[in-house]
Amino acid sequence: MSDEKLNNPGIEIPPELSNQIAVTTLDKIYNWSRAKSLWPMMFGLACCAIEMIITASSRFDFSRFGMEVMRPSPRQADVMLVSGTVTKKMIPQIVRLYNQMSEPRYVLAMGACASGGGPFKEGYNVVSGVDKFIPVDIYVPGCPPTPQALLHGLIMLTKKIETEKLSEAEWYKKDFNEEIPVPILGPDLIDPRKYDVIKNHTFNEDPFIDGGLVIDQKQGEQS
Amino acid sequence: MAITGLIKGLGITLKHFIETYTVDLKDGKKRYNTPEGIKERSSADTKGIFTVQYPFEKVPVPEAFRYIPFLVFDESESGEKDIRCTSCGICAKVCPPQCIWITRSVNPETGKPVPKPAKFFIDIDICMNCGLCAEFCPFEAIRMDHDYEISSFNRFDHHIYDLDKLLKPAKYYAKIHPKQYAEEEAARIEKEAKKAAAKATKPA
Repeated sequence: MSDEKLNNPGIEIPPELSNQIAVTTLDKIYNWSRAKSLWPMMFGLACCAIEMIITASSRFDFSRFGMEVMRPSPRQADVMLVSGTVTKKMIPQIVRLYNQMSEPRYVLAMGACASGGGPFKEGYNVVSGVDKFIPVDIYVPGCPPTPQALLHGLIMLTKKIETEKLSEAEWYKKDFNEEIPVPILGPDLIDPRKYDVIKNHTFNEDPFIDGGLVIDQKQGEQS
Repeated sequence: MAITGLIKGLGITLKHFIETYTVDLKDGKKRYNTPEGIKERSSADTKGIFTVQYPFEKVPVPEAFRYIPFLVFDESESGEKDIRCTSCGICAKVCPPQCIWITRSVNPETGKPVPKPAKFFIDIDICMNCGLCAEFCPFEAIRMDHDYEISSFNRFDHHIYDLDKLLKPAKYYAKIHPKQYAEEEAARIEKEAKKAAAKATKPA
């Protein structure tokens, strides 16, 4: 997959020891071990899930890349394959599962629906892109992506992991709290991070609304 | 009864396990990284390991395989790109998920529209690979691509394709759709011959 060797060529190793000693950096060995044992979470949402199952089975077999088992528990999973249409009823559960995963965690948006809403992008019951709620690391286009396209996406993800650095990793910082508020399903979907906007929208008697955002009245008069 | 069934099942598993070695010993090198090997391993009655070693070998896609659309351009003798698209907008209208945006180019001197696209965008993260755009296009300008290795880290930077990314030469189209290309070329030549014949008879 990657041509880069684990050995750091910066330090000279005597030829008689070259078979016994390997010199590397902590970053490299840490990323190598993480990227080569990426366990996906076992959950599928729609037709893309069928394609994901094919990728997992012996014809394409993603355990060749160390994604040995699909973990049914978010606590043991590293990568979440959002495979399929994310409905508004499903997004609270997905965000909750994401919050339960232990860092470092990655999200792969598989297919058109998960990445951008696909044919349902303006639908009344579908979230147009899972990236509106949880951070997505890699997007795989296709409807649905073929097993090989999904494998390409997973290989790209391991490449991304290999470029990360321990000293810059967010999840080891002291005040790290990446818990995402779980959206509430009422008459429509409510994102708790957008409470103020929704409140403004509701209580403003004559809101000048443009593109779903409440704009200052003065700006509206000027234009 | 239960035990005999169990032994039978485990026997089949063991047989398959041993087969992976015997088949590889018999014709190991022929089976991997060769087109014949991939074809043999794709068949229903293959034996041994049939996993496709994906980044090193790929399953060939059929001609009718659809992924993301691309725009065809003809290369003139002077090397200029002659885009087939006339920005008529039929593809944008038939697109079920509405992922195509087109702007017609305007002649800067006269201000009249020119039948060429100034901007052409396809949001490939919305595209559902249905192929309706390619089917409806009257100018054979938009066709479905076979390249599926296009996943990336940023949707808005890399997954909204503009003219630069969409334009591909007619040679490439002929390569991936040989049958369809030959049919279309034959139809085009016949049409031109008819036109020429009509022109020749008219003034007389």
